[in-house]
Amino acid sequence: MKGISKAFARTPHMIGSKVGMSKKSSDPEFDDYSRRFAALETAAEKLLKDTKAFDEAVTNLFNSGSGFSQHFGSLFHPLVGETDLIRKHPEAEHTVKHVDQYEGIMDELKAAVVPELELIESRILGPVKELQGVMKAIRKSITKRDHKLLDYDRHNNSLTKLRDKKEKSLNDEKNLFKVEQEFEIASNEYDYINTAMKNELPRFMQMATRFIDPLFHSFFYMQLNIFYLLLEKMNAFAENAKYDVSVPTSQVIPDYENKRTDAWAQIEAFNITKRIISTSKLVQANRAASGGGVGVGRSPTTSSVATSSHLGPPMRTPSSTSTSSFTKPAPPPPHASSVASPPPYSPPAATSPSYGGGFTAAKRAPPPPPPLKPKPSEPEKQYVVALYDFEAQADGDLAFRTGDRIEVVERTGSAEDWWTGRLNGVQGVFPGNYVQDT
Amino acid sequence: MSWAGFKKTINRANTTLLQKTGQIERTIDREFADEEVKYKNYEKECQALQKDSKGYMDAMRAMTAAQARLADTIDIFYGAADKTSESAMAAHAYKRAVEDLDTGVSREMELPYRTTIMEPLGKMNAYFPIINEHITKRNKKLLDYDAARSKLNKIINKPSEDPTKLPKAQQENDDAKEVFDYLNDQLIAELPQLLDLRVPFFDPSFEAMIRMQCKFAEEGYDKLSGVQRYFADNVRDDYAAGQLDAQVEGVLQEMRELSICGAS
Repeated sequence: MKGISKAFARTPHMIGSKVGMSKKSSDPEFDDYSRRFAALETAAEKLLKDTKAFDEAVTNLFNSGSGFSQHFGSLFHPLVGETDLIRKHPEAEHTVKHVDQYEGIMDELKAAVVPELELIESRILGPVKELQGVMKAIRKSITKRDHKLLDYDRHNNSLTKLRDKKEKSLNDEKNLFKVEQEFEIASNEYDYINTAMKNELPRFMQMATRFIDPLFHSFFYMQLNIFYLLLEKMNAFAENAKYDVSVPTSQVIPDYENKRTDAWAQIEAFNITKRIISTSKLVQANRAASGGGVGVGRSPTTSSVATSSHLGPPMRTPSSTSTSSFTKPAPPPPHASSVASPPPYSPPAATSPSYGGGFTAAKRAPPPPPPLKPKPSEPEKQYVVALYDFEAQADGDLAFRTGDRIEVVERTGSAEDWWTGRLNGVQGVFPGNYVQDT
Repeated sequence: MSWAGFKKTINRANTTLLQKTGQIERTIDREFADEEVKYKNYEKECQALQKDSKGYMDAMRAMTAAQARLADTIDIFYGAADKTSESAMAAHAYKRAVEDLDTGVSREMELPYRTTIMEPLGKMNAYFPIINEHITKRNKKLLDYDAARSKLNKIINKPSEDPTKLPKAQQENDDAKEVFDYLNDQLIAELPQLLDLRVPFFDPSFEAMIRMQCKFAEEGYDKLSGVQRYFADNVRDDYAAGQLDAQVEGVLQEMRELSICGAS
């Protein structure tokens, strides 16, 4: 309550002094100390923050180091079913042999740094926090001194005003005495605390230096010890494991590059490390790769087929309906528009000899569906004459000799397709470019 | 999602359900399952390794950066009472040393560390999402295949009136199998190779890491220990004997006794 009424009493004067209506006294000597004290306050704050940051960084360094060694080590342990890594990768023998030891060292380091960190906690962070406590108390005193200064100015102001008044009323005369007394008290109080400040702040600064001296030295040795710990263990390991660590850092990259194998390129070349564009495309590409050589794709260059150059039978590229891989649109059904079905015979990868091993195991498709019923509108049978011998390559193929007359059951718009025909009572499919219209 | 994709998702969800209730037989591929387990484990290790590698570099930088800032702060303390003492000189030397160290770490360590540790790991870890995509695809195609086969078996066991049904189902079955086999064979062939290549892939990083760790420790120790020359002779022993702590405590006590500290 006392504090609040004081604050109320001071407010008008504070406003007045801000707008320049009332006089404000200052003490340059004190202000200088005060500035330096404020600097120390921020410094203590920073010291605390950075000590914590350092502490954290060291913890992270040793934790990450240990984690790294652990995970790196597990990469160089044989997997299930891997018998002898060293025999398989003789170039990595050195690494394989030392990852466990490395892991041990890093774990030891992690454990060894704990006491150092505890020292920082108790011997650096602790005292700095206490220093902050001391400074907080001093800050309180400074605030008090500022208040007292305000009171001094306030009373000084009223006193001057009253004295300067030309014609004093009776009330004023009465007041004058009271104000004089108030001013006296305020002046004494301010002088007392201001003098104390001016005496003791410099002493505090000295103490702060004497405080930081041993603290700095301690902290320095703690930091040095951390590096020493790291250096000693790492060097011992490197020496033991015959790693040459005396090379400059600039040598690290060239040596690394020298040791790099084509493993990068090999991994890059895998199919599974490439994005999937479309499975059907992949399957097709695979089919083309494994079926390459003899097979001629159904190329649209019909002109070359039209000449009598002997081409192999057209590739059976299934235009499977599930995968819309078949780029060429299905040839329109030859007959009336009543049928809108895809080409009737579209076998999957068959046992055609041109196929590679991958697909020989694939199940053979069943015989083609029965032919579409001959259209009643076309009573006349169509015939074609075989230009070449055709050996049946799969069930359902119609074999014939050059010159055979084949009854066409169904033909597509393209000669580069599989037509259905009948010969000697047998019905089957045959390549359209093997025959000629009669 | 496209309409076709949506239809596929629904169909596959249906297949999974039917498999759970035992109405559709599920293909179990031990060979793939084994490889997948190993691969997943490898993926996990690589990711953990990447995290720790980054943590290590970050910690080295954070450590020296914190030291540089500490040196600045300590300088302020000495500046507060204008003292050109031996200790203030030592603080200056310390500041120079840690600043050297800090810039040295970023200048000399960062590039080699990036090249020899972070880059290979980044590269390897970038492959995993793609490979996982292949695995997901393979699993989806397996469901399709299981569904198609179940459909085909049903028709074989109970021939339909419609003669076109059987060949159509056969066709679908064969197509699904082909796609699945392709993806599956590829994974079974390449996953073990990928795992095998991890050894030559990461091997050179090991030596580089050890070298850089040693270098960091050596630099830090060298730079810092030089500062000791500016200390009074007894400081080292005082530290070892715990005398310095006593001094700190003593000063704190003196401070508390100041009247401005509320003692009076």
